[in-house]
Amino acid sequence: MSSPTSTSDATGTGAALAGTGGFLGRSRRGWLLVGLGLVLALALPWFVYPPVAMDIACWALFAVALDLLLGYAGLLSFGHAAFWGGSAYVAGLAAIEWGLPFPLAALLGAVFAMALAWPVGVLSVRRSGIYFAMVTLAFAQMLFFVVNQWRGLTGGENGLQGVPAHFFGVEAVEDQAFYFYYAALPIIVAGMWFAWRVVHSPFGRVLVATRDNPARARALGYDVERYRVLVFVLSAGLAGLAGGIFAISHGFVSLQEVAWQTSGKVVLITVLGGIGTLWGGIAGAVVIVLLEDFLASSGFDGIGIITGAVFIVVVLLFRRGVWGTLSDLLGRRTGRSHAVERSISAGDGEEPTA
Amino acid sequence: MSTKRIVATAVVTAGVLALSACGNAGPGGAGSDEFTDGKLVLAVLNDQSGVYKDLSGPNSVKAVEMAVADFQERHGDDAVVEDVEVTFADHQNKPDVANTKAQELYDRESADIILDVPTSSAALAVATQAAEKEKLYFNIGAATTELTNAQCNKYTFHWAYDTYQLANATGTAVTEGGATDWQIIYPDYAFGQDMDKSFTAAIEAAGGTVGDHIATPFPNDNFSTFLTRAASAEPDVIGTMQAGGDLINLVKQYNEGGYVDQGIELAVGLMFITDIHSLGVEAFNGVNFAEAWYWNFDDENRAWADRFMEETGTRPSFAHAANYSAATQYLEAVQAEGTDDADTIVGHLEGKEIDDVFLKNGKIRAEDHRVIHDVYLARVKTADEVTEEWDYEEILATIPAEEAFKPVEDSTCSFG
Repeated sequence: MSSPTSTSDATGTGAALAGTGGFLGRSRRGWLLVGLGLVLALALPWFVYPPVAMDIACWALFAVALDLLLGYAGLLSFGHAAFWGGSAYVAGLAAIEWGLPFPLAALLGAVFAMALAWPVGVLSVRRSGIYFAMVTLAFAQMLFFVVNQWRGLTGGENGLQGVPAHFFGVEAVEDQAFYFYYAALPIIVAGMWFAWRVVHSPFGRVLVATRDNPARARALGYDVERYRVLVFVLSAGLAGLAGGIFAISHGFVSLQEVAWQTSGKVVLITVLGGIGTLWGGIAGAVVIVLLEDFLASSGFDGIGIITGAVFIVVVLLFRRGVWGTLSDLLGRRTGRSHAVERSISAGDGEEPTA
Repeated sequence: MSTKRIVATAVVTAGVLALSACGNAGPGGAGSDEFTDGKLVLAVLNDQSGVYKDLSGPNSVKAVEMAVADFQERHGDDAVVEDVEVTFADHQNKPDVANTKAQELYDRESADIILDVPTSSAALAVATQAAEKEKLYFNIGAATTELTNAQCNKYTFHWAYDTYQLANATGTAVTEGGATDWQIIYPDYAFGQDMDKSFTAAIEAAGGTVGDHIATPFPNDNFSTFLTRAASAEPDVIGTMQAGGDLINLVKQYNEGGYVDQGIELAVGLMFITDIHSLGVEAFNGVNFAEAWYWNFDDENRAWADRFMEETGTRPSFAHAANYSAATQYLEAVQAEGTDDADTIVGHLEGKEIDDVFLKNGKIRAEDHRVIHDVYLARVKTADEVTEEWDYEEILATIPAEEAFKPVEDSTCSFG
């Protein structure tokens, strides 16, 4: 959240690379990247231990959801664990109590997260910057204490154990993490597509305007607060979707899910990947989840030191994160990024064609 | 190249990749019935970097390695399996990580048994995985009684201690020692509430009374108001269920308040020798607490502690000894049965009576897999009583195995 210019650069290049002319874009590069991304996503559990692959996918969607808010509305939420974790508990309870299939349970969790996000959003978007972060953190901590104390429902600090993964009686999916990944991936991809769609809609354009110049957006007749509440709710919904799948893939929900460290981790992933790039979250999730998984078995006892050092290096040297820097390098080679950047910062709704 | 062709290429590549992968790889298969891969793998899953690093951590892995070395020395050429590996992972006290790592250890590193796992939520997550994979799991580091009650399963054993035993040992022994009038201060969350209930039950059964049950926020720094309130009733003893950093703050404030001079003792629900080591004996002067095992208790313990000292440069906590004991008993069971098949080993261990360096008068209860053994009431020595490093505890009383743990009739466990 340094200077508005650098963020807006990243937005431009990221959007350009992600395929600019519709989801299955008209541009060649867009097609290629979407294809490549899907191939990698499909191939992931062959190379990475399947439960870890699932974690990567969930954290990636969570980071994309946060970037929707942080990168495109300029609001740093430090309380997104409330939506991820709140949904995790709802999805877990739905699977245990009613035996809902996991996609429905996760969806129910997402709906709960959105319902929770509405009042929180209305109250917190009145502030911005550090105050917004503090207010969201405060609400998340409230939820943490409710979950901790409501032992009958949530299991308190022991967590909600034995969450079943129902999937219409398909045993392979229910029992094996490998097949579960493929059953859950479409939901994750759909969530990402939704985030992409939001960013590249007129709504998304207005959002960027409210971020860069709220006064001007207001003067043009846009209700800035309403837009912010709406994007907050949408972001919470996607975070909830990711949290619900995460909980069911693990078979339990713990206090960790609603703890502030989880909010911190997703901010770390998003910043590492690149703020305002949307897909940066995926790169960030891959790096952080794999790093943590590797370090856990490495015998090195300073996991925080390593992830912290990586974070510092990225923030100091690659201000636009992994994705932002990469796409910037690629864009510079083809000389595309500047045109796109200008057209976006000028508020030009038309997509440039490559 | 036209867009269509690129798309076609991408789709074909994806398809080929997916298909070729189907041929040679695949999700990890379940374990076989004989010695999986011709070897035995013992995995330690614990906190290698956080608050429980000293209590269990890397030295638990060392303890398990010692058990393996001793086993190989004992059986030499007769050993039913030659290749015995010890592996480990760090769960960072996060249940999510513990859950994933447990799966990975069972599936990928073909671990036959997982040991240790402190932190209750992580411990319960691993129990779920053990049940699902039908592989063994001996918990040592976690205190939750859920492992041998509602969340128990056929493959999970609880080796060292639990909240019931802690409360029961301290509550009963201190009350029977003459301090009958109690005040209890507990942190207001699941662990504290459970401990408060267990303590009260134990104290009342021993003929004592509990005045106030004072709930404090968790976490919390300032306990002086709670201590003043508890002391105003002029009890014989204040029982505190705080743990970790909160406990340290409370004990400091207890010392500063001069309650010792008023004749009010302090009994602690959950405390480890590593807490005393990090803060020094002065801070805990005269505190009573329950101990599952103490290195300087008798010659057998001391001899093992000396060997442990040679390996690690430090004295063992109860968790290290329990890891050694659990690994040893597992290896002996494998030796006796000639297989690493989990169901056979469970059958062998159920109801078995054991005496080793950690388990004194030990027995593995078949009904709930609670491992019972003698436990102790300890008092922290004063600075001038300490004769060597780690010589911090005086054992005041031994609580016999049968009385120390929750009676088997009261367990809600059933192996479905």
